[in-house]
Amino acid sequence: MSLQAVLPDTISGLLGLEGVLGDVVGGLVGAFLVANIMLIMTAFAGPWAKRKITAAFGDRIAVNRIGPFGLLTIVTDAVRLLSKELIVPEGVDRPAWDLAPIVIPFSALLGFAVIPMGNGIQLADPETGLAFAFAAASIASLGIVMTGYASNNKFSLIGALRAVAANIAYEIPLVVTAASVVIFAGSLRMSEIVAVQAEPLLSVAGVTIPTWFAFVNPFAFALFIIANLAEVGRNPFDIPEAPTEIVAGYQTEYSSVYFVLIYLGEFIHIFLGGAIAATLFLGGPAGPVLPGFVWFTIKIWAFFLFTQWARSAVPRLRVDQFLEIGWKGMLVLSFANLVLTAIIVGVIV
Amino acid sequence: MSLEEQQSDEPAELESGVSRGDELADLLGDLVVGREEHMNAPGLVIRPDEVQDALFKLRDEAGFDHLSCVTAQEYEDRYESIYHLTKFDDRTDEVSVVVPTSKDNPVSQSAEPVFRTADWHEREAYDLVGIQYEDHPDLRRILLPETWQGHPLGLDYDQDRPQIATLREHANPLEEDHRAGDSNTMYINIGPHHPATHGVLHVETVVDGEQVVDLESDIGYLHRCEEQMCQQGTYRHQIMPYPDRWDYISAGLLNEWAYARTAEDLADIEVPEYAQIIRTMSAELCRIASHMIALGTFALDVYGDFTAIFMYAMRDREIVQNILEDLTGQRMMFNYFRLGGVVWDLPEPREEFFEKIRDFLDGLPQALEEYHDMITSNEILQARTVGTGVLPPEVAKSYGATGPVARGSGIDYDLRRDDSYGYYDELDWDVVVEDGCDNFSRLLVRMREVEESAKIIQQCVDLLEDWPEDERNIQANVPRTLKPEEDTEIYRAVEGAKGELGIYIRADGTDKPARFKIRSPCFSNLQTLPEMSEGEYIPDMIASLGSLDIVLGEVDR
Repeated sequence: MSLQAVLPDTISGLLGLEGVLGDVVGGLVGAFLVANIMLIMTAFAGPWAKRKITAAFGDRIAVNRIGPFGLLTIVTDAVRLLSKELIVPEGVDRPAWDLAPIVIPFSALLGFAVIPMGNGIQLADPETGLAFAFAAASIASLGIVMTGYASNNKFSLIGALRAVAANIAYEIPLVVTAASVVIFAGSLRMSEIVAVQAEPLLSVAGVTIPTWFAFVNPFAFALFIIANLAEVGRNPFDIPEAPTEIVAGYQTEYSSVYFVLIYLGEFIHIFLGGAIAATLFLGGPAGPVLPGFVWFTIKIWAFFLFTQWARSAVPRLRVDQFLEIGWKGMLVLSFANLVLTAIIVGVIV
Repeated sequence: MSLEEQQSDEPAELESGVSRGDELADLLGDLVVGREEHMNAPGLVIRPDEVQDALFKLRDEAGFDHLSCVTAQEYEDRYESIYHLTKFDDRTDEVSVVVPTSKDNPVSQSAEPVFRTADWHEREAYDLVGIQYEDHPDLRRILLPETWQGHPLGLDYDQDRPQIATLREHANPLEEDHRAGDSNTMYINIGPHHPATHGVLHVETVVDGEQVVDLESDIGYLHRCEEQMCQQGTYRHQIMPYPDRWDYISAGLLNEWAYARTAEDLADIEVPEYAQIIRTMSAELCRIASHMIALGTFALDVYGDFTAIFMYAMRDREIVQNILEDLTGQRMMFNYFRLGGVVWDLPEPREEFFEKIRDFLDGLPQALEEYHDMITSNEILQARTVGTGVLPPEVAKSYGATGPVARGSGIDYDLRRDDSYGYYDELDWDVVVEDGCDNFSRLLVRMREVEESAKIIQQCVDLLEDWPEDERNIQANVPRTLKPEEDTEIYRAVEGAKGELGIYIRADGTDKPARFKIRSPCFSNLQTLPEMSEGEYIPDMIASLGSLDIVLGEVDR
């Protein structure tokens, strides 16, 4: 199949630049664009959409005073958060404490380098794209561990330990479930996974249903979404933060800009989780009528909405129950899914 | 005394002509060195070094299994501790064990080995009055800071003396870091600033990983000298506003009733039936509002913040608040009860007011259905709450737990029925009991009690609607100044939102009480937290704390 040109090449082509200069300029401009697309989405999601969604679940109205639908709250919140005093507690482990809020959002942004967003927006398309996305997403855990031990706060420490335990318990089912898709697609390359899903599965009354893996293997999709919820730390798996138990978990000691960065990281992480789910199971940017990028946006926002719904309506598990479900439930099911898929693919295809 | 009250204390005469006091005095034999008559119960005077013997006998042989309250006070010539004993099975069977101690050596034997609840009550007595309890496991100040000088409810306490304590003298909570030792435990301060402590509660917790090894509640942050303030107010009007401020989360009228009942019994005031019905109705509205908050905040503790269920509970509570606002003119500090009745009649037009209540009652089953769908039938919530925070009935009794906490442990005890007041015994309703003893049971008890309260309100509205217009008597004739006779003592309790809310008053012949003691249900209930949480995980400890439904304003008073 023909690979679409990746975004840096398109940009350097448009600018008429060749060779190393073209690669560098195209890469930087492309990365700048993609990062900003995600940051803008986060700006909508964090101060505005999250409030509106939570309020809708709780029969409230939420922000509606500044701007249409309260949209300018985004601006006022940015000013408010950035102008707050950055409080550095005594006894924090300085370089680590400062680095963590940078590691958390940028690791999540890094994951978007390989995500095909439609309309040719994809920074890179390496053969090992999927592995790269998971690897990048997992770096955030490193950042969380840094916050945990560098904060010199016991709540932070407990939160960080919980995050590590959660990460190990849920990263494995997540990756193993994704591997079942790879068996179907026969490739780790993101663009190929998307391309495979474009083929028609069956036709019902003139409507063609594509071979999105969510349709082919709904069981794997459900498993993946649940593991993904744990990966991004939302109810019922929000134990690393667990506000009513351990105050704010690993981010207890962070304020002002650092707080913004960590929060940014969490939202980008949710979007990255949604993006990986969309790419693996929902045909990536594919969809009727509307352009690919719009469909991609709809899909990741749908995942965001789902996390917020869970947050409003589902109780939090206790940490031991959480690990029990991860190790004794999810892991077993994901391997069962993998073996079954392998057998089916081996026999039929 | 120029008042027309007949202060004849009537000891409960039994058929044989022997009073209950004589019977119990016979049981204790030589332990009794004197007799008193309190308005609610016979008083047996015991020597300070024989408290445990007497209490053990009363508990094991006469069945007094509920130490409701410990009142301490100072007289000109002596200190005195009063143990108000009663029974979970028969609330009206009461006895006061009076333990005088000398001025120069105020040492009395502790009741803690008999009733665990005496632990905190005696600490409070030591803190505020200055009686020392021998054999007490942990006699420290409880409401005031460790560094406080003097005992504020003692007679020679100088209020004007400045309390100067340097920072250095205060205990440093970080010192017990357990870092130096080679143990694997960690010391955490949960609170006083923590999202789940429901106020300013400080729980000193020692954890081993995620498991709670040891915990201790540090209270007193919200101590506002309520008892002393009440002692400086006149019976007739000046005390009634204070009860609103004890359990300030919607339970104001229930608290006011505690004072109203005590003072009315003390001054022998008869409340008109019509006013009793209004009281019953409005108090149950308060109970619904209070239980809604309990439900919502418990959901917060288990679900995490920003949950839909909290907002749903607030939404339904808001309707109750509006009804109460129509009735009393206030949303929080109602000040609606008066001695001998209520301050004013139902708001006009009455039809509209009844309509509002009926609309609320009609919508309630659906709202509760919704809660059950979202909370109690949720599998994750059940996994979190069933079998966690277990409080066995025997332990609950020993700690003097009452209200939904006791009823969640299978103790069938409700003052509205067992020591009836107001209009409750005329109405048709049930006491809700669940015997799971865990967090889930306590949650269920509150949700089902809302239904029972709705039943009561429904009946009250029916009665009020048909009440003849010329018989709407909201207020008995009460003298302008109340001066109960000197040395009359009374301890009376009502079923508050959180449990047994009792008040002890000793009159000294003036228009102000000489001693005003508040028995807070939250204070006793909170004591059970270590029993529920030790060995459990931190999240379960938080859930147990939520299921106790404490209000720090009432714990600290």
